[in-house]
Amino acid sequence: MRYLFTLLLFLVPALGVWTFVEADRWQLWFPQNVSSFGGEIDRLFNIIMYMVAFTFIVTEVCLAWFVFKYSAKNETKGAFTHGSHKLEMVWTAIPAVALLFIAFIQMRTWADIKFEGNFPKDGEYTREKPIAEVWASQFDWRIRYPGDDGVLGTVDDLERSWEFVVPVDTKIVFNLRTRDVIHSFFVPEFRLKQDALPGHTIPMWFEAKKEGIYDLICAELCGWGHYKMSGRVTVVSKEEFAKRMSEIKAEWFSNGKELGE
Amino acid sequence: MRLSPRFSLVAAAGLAAWLGACQLDKDQKPARPVIHFSLSAATQALGEDGQPVIPADVQTNIAGSLAMLFGTPENPQFQLLPEWKDEGFNPNWPAYPVGEDGSGEVDLAGLEADNKVYWRRQLAAIEAGQWGRVFVQDFTPDLREKWNELCAQTPEEARGDDFKKAAAELFTGYYPRLSASAELYRQHCLHCHGPEGGGDGPTAPFLNPRPRDYRHGTFKFTAVGKSVPRRTDLYRILDEGVTGTSMPSFRRFSQAQLHGLIDYVRLLSMRGMVERSLVSTFGEEEMLTSGDVADAYLTVWEKWKKADEKALMFEGEVPLPTPESIARGRELFMDAKAGNCFSCHGPEGRGDGVAAFALDPETGKLKPTYKDDWGNEILPRNLRIGIFRGGRRPIDLYRRIKNGIAGGPMPEAASTLTSDDIWHLVHYVGSISERPQHAHKVASHGDEHGQSSSHGETPASGDGHGTEKH
Ligand SMILES: [Cu+2]
Repeated sequence: MRYLFTLLLFLVPALGVWTFVEADRWQLWFPQNVSSFGGEIDRLFNIIMYMVAFTFIVTEVCLAWFVFKYSAKNETKGAFTHGSHKLEMVWTAIPAVALLFIAFIQMRTWADIKFEGNFPKDGEYTREKPIAEVWASQFDWRIRYPGDDGVLGTVDDLERSWEFVVPVDTKIVFNLRTRDVIHSFFVPEFRLKQDALPGHTIPMWFEAKKEGIYDLICAELCGWGHYKMSGRVTVVSKEEFAKRMSEIKAEWFSNGKELGE
Repeated sequence: MRLSPRFSLVAAAGLAAWLGACQLDKDQKPARPVIHFSLSAATQALGEDGQPVIPADVQTNIAGSLAMLFGTPENPQFQLLPEWKDEGFNPNWPAYPVGEDGSGEVDLAGLEADNKVYWRRQLAAIEAGQWGRVFVQDFTPDLREKWNELCAQTPEEARGDDFKKAAAELFTGYYPRLSASAELYRQHCLHCHGPEGGGDGPTAPFLNPRPRDYRHGTFKFTAVGKSVPRRTDLYRILDEGVTGTSMPSFRRFSQAQLHGLIDYVRLLSMRGMVERSLVSTFGEEEMLTSGDVADAYLTVWEKWKKADEKALMFEGEVPLPTPESIARGRELFMDAKAGNCFSCHGPEGRGDGVAAFALDPETGKLKPTYKDDWGNEILPRNLRIGIFRGGRRPIDLYRRIKNGIAGGPMPEAASTLTSDDIWHLVHYVGSISERPQHAHKVASHGDEHGQSSSHGETPASGDGHGTEKH
């Protein structure tokens, strides 16, 4: 019996590692990364994952070994102990060091992505001149482009529901807002997630490196319709983007006749 | 060490139950309540004597006629009239979308590009020959059926390029049947709009404003005034949603699916209109004949067929706001003989005009004066917050002001107003709802202007401002 239990316990880390190795082949791993900073996020994720994996394997192997070695068959009596001060110091200090390590290595990445001071300054879109305002509401996304004057909140703003069209290889700065409750802007392919808070205008940025259609998902339980609060980020070439914007503009200033609406 | 008999027993029972459940799952679809169309509360109303106003046998008669004309929720179908056959008009799939005979309204070829995007994962899986990855959602039962049929015809080893082509065409050419659209409606619309489109689904009581009741054939945010809506009007609502209400955008579905939903919403709306028409005919004549039923059906269909002719368009280019136009708009807004907007929307456009509220003698508090056709209390829109349910585009506001809002207290514009006047009003409303684009003091509200001027200016004009100070 003790061979069986030891084998089962050994199987836990073995199967665990195997699923991670195979995950990519079964397309269970992350979706492709298409943003400029997504690689950084993945690198951090991998560092933390390897740390956790190392701990997991060591503890699981110890567990299996102890089950084998100290099986009840030996009929030895368990020794009573008040604990060990030294051991406690060790298992407090090691995680503390690990946490500090994680805290330090992520600082640069976090600051690059989230700190307003590090937002793109020289590109076409900046903190002062965002490409659009993304409004979340129960249960859809609305995108508001500033129109010809480049200023948001004026009468020539163009609005379109659901689909956020952006040009490829361009640093995109936009504002995230919500009309009602807390929502969260999440595009897995960009490795980008940010809560939208009522009353706040939250600036965000990303740069998509590959044209395509990416799902925009609400990642904050926001009510009964949360499950269907999806949108789309469409990354297109710069020429296509200009074309799409002129289409949106034509629709906005339509007299109803030309577009047959 | 050995396992206790009790543990073995429990474990064995658990395993058996789990296996059993798996097996059940495979064989049986999860039970779903069957949905029926029922008559509206108005039709079933009781008189003062406690007896139904419309006798039970007549009610049965009406329900039967409606079932004949429109089918059931599981199998919705328009009845095909003999004269339509001669005209080549078939309200049902597949002739309803623009076909070879040109009888329909939906351009199927135009939907192909969107289908290619919507079904991109399925199409990629077909291209790669990964048949197990071709997932067809349960709200497209007709497509799933066809896909399964196709798969059953050709064993996996025999699937070549021809199969791939046929399979891809299933998806790119997809347009849902009415019954599939009804399924989509059940999953995404029914809980608010109700099985008959009465705006009385289970989540409706929690919503403000209440969901639309289709059965009057009256839709508020259209281009057609008081007429029944065009397909385009309904499409725009599904595509953009209604801002400021609980109606979200449904662009997550394919264009074909949205058109399918429109087909079904039209069926529900026509069903409601025929029901109302039959009830009023019975009120006048004290009896119903099969001729009445056919008449009502034909009359309602004629209305829907003619909806396109009623649309309000604007000839020429949409004018852009100028300070003069905005100032003129304000004058019209405040002029009781012209726009008279202030009486409800208030002099500042805050939706607090005197005409919109009355003192309730019982509570001594103000309450809304107006109700819409469905008996919901209506508040005038606050024009300053930039949320316009019928859309914020210039043409949307133009249509709203010119046509009014069907079913609600917002009237048509006075006939003395020219289209230029309407545009002045549109520009004025736009100017108070957003930060001013033109830094001219048009609206006479110094506080508003002072608040927003620092944001409203472009960076360039901001610099100019700075140099002036020096
Ligand atoms: Cu949400």
